[in-house]
Parts: sequence; structure tokens; C-alpha cells
Amino acid sequence: MSISPIIFLKNVDSIYEGESRPTIKDINLKIRRGEFVYIIGPNASGKTTLLETINGLVRAIRGQIRVFGLDLKKNSQKIRKNIAYMLQTWDIEPDEPFLVKDIVMMGRSGKLGTFINPRKQDWELVKDCLEIVGMLRHYKKPIGKLSGGEQQKVFLARALAQDADILMLDEPFSNLDTDSRSMVLDILRNYKQRKNATILVVSHFLSDVSFQIDFIDRIVIMQEGRIIMDGSPDEVLQSEEYICLKTNRS
Amino acid sequence: MIFFSLDLMLKLIFAGILAGFASSTMGVFVVRLKMTSIGYCMAHAAFAGAALGMLIDNYLILASINLNINLPLIMAFLFTFLTSILLGPLSEKTKLDVNVILGFLFALMLALGFIFLSFLPSGVISSQAVSVLWGSIFGVMIEDLIALAVISALIIVFLIFFYKEFLSIMFNKKMALASGINVSLFTFIILLFNGLVITFSINIIGALLVYALIVNPASTSFQFFYDMKKIFIFAAIIGIADSVAGIFMSLFFDLPVGSSIIIVSCIVFISAVIISPKRRWKMKKQKGIDEWNNTN
Ligand SMILES: Nc1ncnc2c1ncn2[C@@H]1O[C@H](COP(=O)(O)OP(=O)(O)OP(=O)(O)O)[C@@H](O)[C@H]1O
Ligand SMILES: [Mg+2]
Repeated sequence: MSISPIIFLKNVDSIYEGESRPTIKDINLKIRRGEFVYIIGPNASGKTTLLETINGLVRAIRGQIRVFGLDLKKNSQKIRKNIAYMLQTWDIEPDEPFLVKDIVMMGRSGKLGTFINPRKQDWELVKDCLEIVGMLRHYKKPIGKLSGGEQQKVFLARALAQDADILMLDEPFSNLDTDSRSMVLDILRNYKQRKNATILVVSHFLSDVSFQIDFIDRIVIMQEGRIIMDGSPDEVLQSEEYICLKTNRS
Repeated sequence: MIFFSLDLMLKLIFAGILAGFASSTMGVFVVRLKMTSIGYCMAHAAFAGAALGMLIDNYLILASINLNINLPLIMAFLFTFLTSILLGPLSEKTKLDVNVILGFLFALMLALGFIFLSFLPSGVISSQAVSVLWGSIFGVMIEDLIALAVISALIIVFLIFFYKEFLSIMFNKKMALASGINVSLFTFIILLFNGLVITFSINIIGALLVYALIVNPASTSFQFFYDMKKIFIFAAIIGIADSVAGIFMSLFFDLPVGSSIIIVSCIVFISAVIISPKRRWKMKKQKGIDEWNNTN
């Protein structure tokens, strides 16, 4: 068993195309296989940028990034196939011409590889993933006809269908009611146990999951493009940084 | 009504079917990926290229050199293709918005095309140039037919083998990239096919109008379905129907063939917009929002 971290960032600055200054600065982060990491911070603190630096969508201009022990620069495509990334939600047009089943199958498109069309077992997996999130009844519906929360569950199913070793979820709870939140947490817990998967969740606040905090291994706080706190929930919840974040909010 | 040999008729209808299929299928990509202005620019580049090709051809004939190649077609393709692949880097280097560059290139290409044409002896203009600009029944050559057939077959093969990649990219490029798909390669393939389709359709439809046959049938199809598979199939059917109907209209009423095809495709599109179930649903929703706003 290897002890090297599954995600490794050292002194990383990363920058958006066309910008002159890096958006996130001096990031040092080591995540071990099987860890559940919660990343919090105010708007524009760089949480999304951090996730997209890890899968190479945003370019790192300094430092070193290794994922699965591989250099991200040289292996980005290979690495991405094994990271399921659920984007922060965006407005989906009501007449968007895509069906729920096809969107969930897209989770597998990269992983299946070129020239291989989805097989029967892939469609079975798509059904299973939709069943898990409780959206199987919308299998053949256009995505735009679902509610915001339902769409979010479909995108979670898409991430699950990728069957990846790392899950990165950006604000997966934003449109969900309390019951759905705990359902999603249960799903993530099962997924993590079954695959020994690594899970990174981005959220503004901890309140989304405060009722199940024991499930989280680690909390990272970001502010103005930097990691200002990184530790176990016990450590972080008592830290000045967290209290400061909480008071600023209220 | 004009009468032709059966041979010419068949050639024309066959070309119409192939051009209709290939353009409208590419149109689904173009419309969904919001590449309409790129395609528009590509069509005008094809015009400039074809005009330059004719000009060079003309000088070669004067110098009694016979290369035995179709220079206008080759130049048209080079121009469209270079336009499409230079666009990205150009906008990056100059830090200008792609649409600004497109507007600039579009005008430049049109101007260049007319300048090249103006150098041609007047006799040549009347026959060849008109066919390049507005398409012509007599402009269709057997090479165009073969090329369009090969391109159509390739489009089908690509759609079968890479449907999942294309679907992912059309839904959301960033998501597709994040799941490990080579988005730039597939975008390149789409632009390449677009250039090919434009190049080999200009002899029948004309460079100034070919673009409408790419966009109209696809836009029509988008009015009716929520499933990309159906959108592709229906767009192809409409594209073929538009061009065949346009060809017959041109024969019956003695109208230019390219314009006839485009007029048909525009009428079909407008009708689709009027009866579209999607649009009606959208308008109803908007009306609901307005009413709600008014009462509050
Ligand atoms: N595509 C982009 N190009 C340039 N700058 C960007 C881009 N996307 C985000 N930024 C900037 O980067 C900074 C960090 O953004 P990021 O999306 O990572 O924040 P976040 O922590 O995810 O915020 P939120 O909670 O609102 O999602 C912001 O200042 C934002 O303006
Ligand atoms: Mg964000």
C-alpha cells in the first residue's frame, strides 16, 4: 500500500486565461486516498478555482501538482478520466435538448475511451446511479423540465456513473432540502466506503452538513485565494479562522 | 419550366440530397455550439478562395499551363480551413473578442473575393463566378458529387463512432473536458468538416448562401425536439427536403437554384418557429412571469 498522497499540490499559483494575476496563490495541499475533505470559504475565495486546478482546467503557473502520483501537466487527460467533477450549478434553459439518461451517460464518455460506444452494462449503471439519487423516474425526460434540485441530483448521478477514484463536488447541496442533503451525504459515505474513494466537497458554510460532521475527515478554509486553515473538524471548528468566518457571515 | 436531360436532372437532385444532408448535419453542431458566426465567416472565406483560384486558373490557362486540378475548390477549402483554425489563436494573441475578429474577417474576405473577381476577364465572370457566388444548376460537377458523397459517408461514420464525445461537448464543453475528452481535437474535426461541406456545396448553392442551408434546417429541428438524436435525424430530413424542393422550384419557375433552396429553407424555418411546441411553451412561461410581475 502506497503512502504517497493521491492529490499533491506544492506552492501552486494558478491563473485564468487572460488574467494578469494568479487567482489562487501558494497552495500546499496533500490529500490521502479515502479522505473526505470539506472546502469552505466565502464567495470568490477560490474554492472552484482550487478544484479546477486539481483537474487542470485552470492553469497552474507555479509549483507542482501530482494526482494519482502522476504529473498533471503530462497526464491531464488520463487523470481527468478518473476524477468525477460535478460543476457548480448553472442555469439550464427549459428547452435544453438533452435527456436525463444521456447526461448521466456523459459521466462515462471520457472513461469509456474513444471508439467504444456505451454498452448494455453502462446503461444498467446509469439506471443504478439514477435510482440511487431517486431520479430514475425522470430517465427519459429532458433535463430542462426538472426542478433545480432534481437537476442537481441528476448531475450527482452523472458523477457517480463515472465510477472514479476521486469525486470533486462543487456546492452539491445548494439546491437541496434537508432530507435530500442527508440522502446525498449517505450516498457519498457509501461511495467512499465501497471504493475507498477520495471526496472533495466545496461549500460556503458547514451548516449544510453540520448535522453529520463526524463523517468529515478534514476541513480546508479558503480566503482571498489562499488556504488559511487546514485540519480535522475538531481543530478547525475551534480555530480563530473558522470563528471569524462564521461571525462575518452573521 | 426548363427541361434538361435526365442525366443532368439526376446529377442535380443527387447533389441536392447530399449537400442538404451534409450541411444540415453539420448545422446541428454549428447551431448548438454557437459557431454560427464562425461558419458564416468560413463561407465567405470560401468565396474569396474560390475567386482567387479562378484568377490563378485563368493566368495558368493564358500561360498554357494545365495542372489538371480544380484550383477554385482547393483554394476555397484552404481559405475556409485556415480561417477556422487561425481564429482561436488570433483572438488569443490580439486579445480581441472572437466576434470582433469574425466581423473583420468577414468583410475582408468579401472584399478580397470581389477584388479577385474584378481581375478576371469579363467572359469568365459570367459563367464561373456566378456559379461560385450564387450557385448554378450547371455548376455541379461530378467531382462535387463524389466529394459530397464521401463527406456525407464520413460524417455518418464519425457520428456513429464518436457520438458520445460529440454529445458531451455539445452539452457542456467544460464538463466534457473535465471528464477527459479531447475537446479541442473534436472541435477541430467539426470545423474541418464544416469547411469541407461549405467548399463542395458552393457550386450548387453558392458561397453567399450555403451558410443558410447549414443553419436553417438545424434551427428548424431544434424547434421540435428535446433529444439530440432526433434533432440530428430530423435536421437531415429537413435539409434534404429543403434542397430537393428548392431544386424543383428553381426548375419550374426558372429561378437561381441556390436562392430557391434557401427560400424554401427559410419558409420552412419560419413555419417551424410559428408552430413550435417548444416556443409556445416558453412564451406561455414568459407570460406567466409577466402576469406575476404585474400583480405584484
Ligand atoms: N473564468 C474566469 N476568468 C477570470 N477570473 C475568474 C474566472 N472564474 C472565476 N474568476 C475569479 O476568480 C476568483 C475566485 O473564483 P472562484 O470561482 O474560485 O470562487 P469560489 O470560492 O468558488 O466562489 P463561489 O462561492 O462564489 O463559488 C474570483 O475573484 C473570480 O472573479
Ligand atoms: Mg465556486
